[in-house]
Amino acid sequence: MLSRLAESFYWIGRYVERAEASARLLAEHHQLIVEDKRITPERGAQVLLEALMIPTEADVEFTPSELVRQVLGDPEDTSSVSGAVHAARENARAIRDALSADVFEALNSVDMRLSLAVSKPDIRSPGVLLYGVLERLAVVHGVIDWTSPRDEGYLFLRLGRTLERIDMTARLLAVHHEQMWPESGPVAMLRATGGLHAFLRGRNPMSGEQVRGFLVLDPLFPRSMLGSSRIAEDTVRALERQGSEDSTGRLLRTVGLLRSALEFSSSSPDPATVDAMAESGLVSSTQAGMEVSEAFFRQVGTTVWSH
Amino acid sequence: MTTEKNLTADYPGYETTPGAYDEMFDAAGQPRPGLEYLESALRALGADGLKERGRVRDSHLTAQGITFTLSGRERPLPMDLIPRVIAADEWRTIDAGVSQRIRALEMFLDDVYGMGQILSEGIVPRALVTSSAHFHRAAHGFQPPNGVRIHVAGVDLVRDQEGTIRVLEDNLRNPSGVSYVLENRRTLAHVVPELFPTQRVRAISEYPERLFASLVTAGPRGVPDPTVVVLTPGVHNSAHFEHAFLARRMGTELVEGRDLFCREGSVFMRTTKGPRQVHVIYRRIDDEYLDPVHFLPDSLLGVPGILNAARAGTVTIANAIGNGVADDKALYPYVPKIIEYYLGEKPILPNVPTYDLQDREVRDFVLDRLDSMVLKPVDGSGGYGLVMGHQATDKELAEVAVSITDDPRAWVAQPVLTLSTSPSAVGEGAIEPRHVDLRPFAVNDGERVWVLPGGLTRVALRKGSLVVNSSQGGGSKDTWVLDDGQGGISADAGPAVADGTAEGFIGIDRRYRRQPGWRETGPRISEERMRQQSEQQQQTRTGGGEPTC
Repeated sequence: MLSRLAESFYWIGRYVERAEASARLLAEHHQLIVEDKRITPERGAQVLLEALMIPTEADVEFTPSELVRQVLGDPEDTSSVSGAVHAARENARAIRDALSADVFEALNSVDMRLSLAVSKPDIRSPGVLLYGVLERLAVVHGVIDWTSPRDEGYLFLRLGRTLERIDMTARLLAVHHEQMWPESGPVAMLRATGGLHAFLRGRNPMSGEQVRGFLVLDPLFPRSMLGSSRIAEDTVRALERQGSEDSTGRLLRTVGLLRSALEFSSSSPDPATVDAMAESGLVSSTQAGMEVSEAFFRQVGTTVWSH
Repeated sequence: MTTEKNLTADYPGYETTPGAYDEMFDAAGQPRPGLEYLESALRALGADGLKERGRVRDSHLTAQGITFTLSGRERPLPMDLIPRVIAADEWRTIDAGVSQRIRALEMFLDDVYGMGQILSEGIVPRALVTSSAHFHRAAHGFQPPNGVRIHVAGVDLVRDQEGTIRVLEDNLRNPSGVSYVLENRRTLAHVVPELFPTQRVRAISEYPERLFASLVTAGPRGVPDPTVVVLTPGVHNSAHFEHAFLARRMGTELVEGRDLFCREGSVFMRTTKGPRQVHVIYRRIDDEYLDPVHFLPDSLLGVPGILNAARAGTVTIANAIGNGVADDKALYPYVPKIIEYYLGEKPILPNVPTYDLQDREVRDFVLDRLDSMVLKPVDGSGGYGLVMGHQATDKELAEVAVSITDDPRAWVAQPVLTLSTSPSAVGEGAIEPRHVDLRPFAVNDGERVWVLPGGLTRVALRKGSLVVNSSQGGGSKDTWVLDDGQGGISADAGPAVADGTAEGFIGIDRRYRRQPGWRETGPRISEERMRQQSEQQQQTRTGGGEPTC
């Protein structure tokens, strides 16, 4: 497969996941700061923007609706929801021939909807808008799943998705909702990952500590760091089987070490250990991201002709 | 009284109902203290805004499947966009009053199913208790493991003309509606976040955990990790949404009667891995259907033998069997005395005056002025069979008079009470007063009675109607208890609010930026240069290019 194609597949995976996880997190975070003003909207907005690494202008007054505008963002900033969706769509456009028509259409439609919504001066009923975005992103996931041949392109997309997922889970954990909103925070964290149901079915007692442990270490929830790192490792091994064994060595080691550290941690680690593991997840996924670029999308830089 | 200076500008025709207390405006038409914010937020929204948000809400509720089933049809519970607000100090009174009432009624149940002292002393007539359809001899002498019979209660409150909050009735069997309380809050924050005040609205989302904790502590002795299930009559029940909601949020199995069976005095559920013992059953079916061995022999909803298992102490049924004797409408007038008898305290929340029709003189007094009375069947709930004297036809009044004379134990009478009103969005962006009540939910874990801050505000959406039941055209409102920083009577000591960081993992370290230079890399084709030179590879890193040729 062309490196250029592979890179676009990988980034579609990352951007769609980023958009989805950010939208979900924003919907829940917005709910908390609207309902419970113990944390000032400024502080509530700041922690989320920091976690998502969205730069802010110093003189913005942070009402909850301003936070929504910032995180939904502008299409030029790929840390924002609309920016990530737009970037995914642009990548899809560039490799349109390699994607099923359904995938491009699904991405294109959510991009158009979203850019229309953020172009309006005020975003009314943001929670409802975000639910609509999530619904459409679920369609994107769905059509990718049932129309993509399980070839290299799909593997790169899946690798991007899982590395981003680990990254986003770490960012969510960095906000510490359970400390700022002790009553509603734990449930909001679970909702922000779509993990409420899985958590409750596991008969876990609801507490911030339990929720954090669950999001990092749960073996059954596919979006926990452990679940994601398993998928990442499987994906890299699959790439290897597809004939990339020369390129995958370091990458496999990085994701494999992360997976086994999470897999074989103690059965009930203390909160500090959980946080340390979350941090190592973030480190490993960042490192793996760089290794993917180096191994597969090696660029020799722009050729500048001087006359 | 019109509120000329206020809502009328954008919502012509907000006129408070004569003789009714308005929850938002005082007699002069000014917003009550603490509600100025909501008033101006509503004005800023405007009639058009309100109309538009109404549509957003409808599609949201429908998509979320937040429904109740009425006469076999699933429909969204009408939810009003304008919240009902309760001030912090008033809530402390309600909280304490509800808690007091539940504590006293627990003691009453313990007494009437035990020694019956209150009956021997004649505080409550023995005949009144023994004639109750909900007095079950099967519950006699039975001691629940942690002493709790009322695990969950809903106490219906109304506010009268003078602004006094009064208890209208107690629901100690299967109070429903709490799922709508939780969903209403989420929906409102999604749809109209700008209505929320700068103060903190007290959180309610912990209810399922509180309920679950109380069910776990109610488990049989010697079972450290009891298996809790929610027992529903099935998908056709009007409150099935709520049953599924609670089971889901508590992480428990939702079972139907046919999923359970009894063997050797224990209750089991049928699973793919064989029978699994059940220790606590939060049942949402009535006593009469619970056990065909003891009650209705043709019940398909219940579990044969479950009552014997409960008496043997292998399973806890919550709420307990026989609670209905304490929320019987005929017992209601005695509740203030019950509180004084057991707790030695004056009732914090007064009753609505109620006439005991078994007394001949009282009965004649009531029969003479039926048109100014509300007549309630003792066994009714959901507003079925209720007769509002001032709105009833002569024929209806004559029928009810015959019925009362035939069986005075089956009815109670109360003077027509004008419920308080609350501004409600009706029709095309208009705001009009509508009558409301309030059902706070209380959870008893044996240590203390915790009252969910707020509760279900039901609103009679038909103009002038005083009947708020969802089966009778009622809707609901999100209910806010404002926090003044002092907490509530049953609130936990507020946990110290940390600054959002924890030791060891402080925010996102700058080292972990999203891919080095990630904003510029990744195959974005948006850079101007790339657009112009689309023959170039998109991955060119700006500034990173070294001349290689």
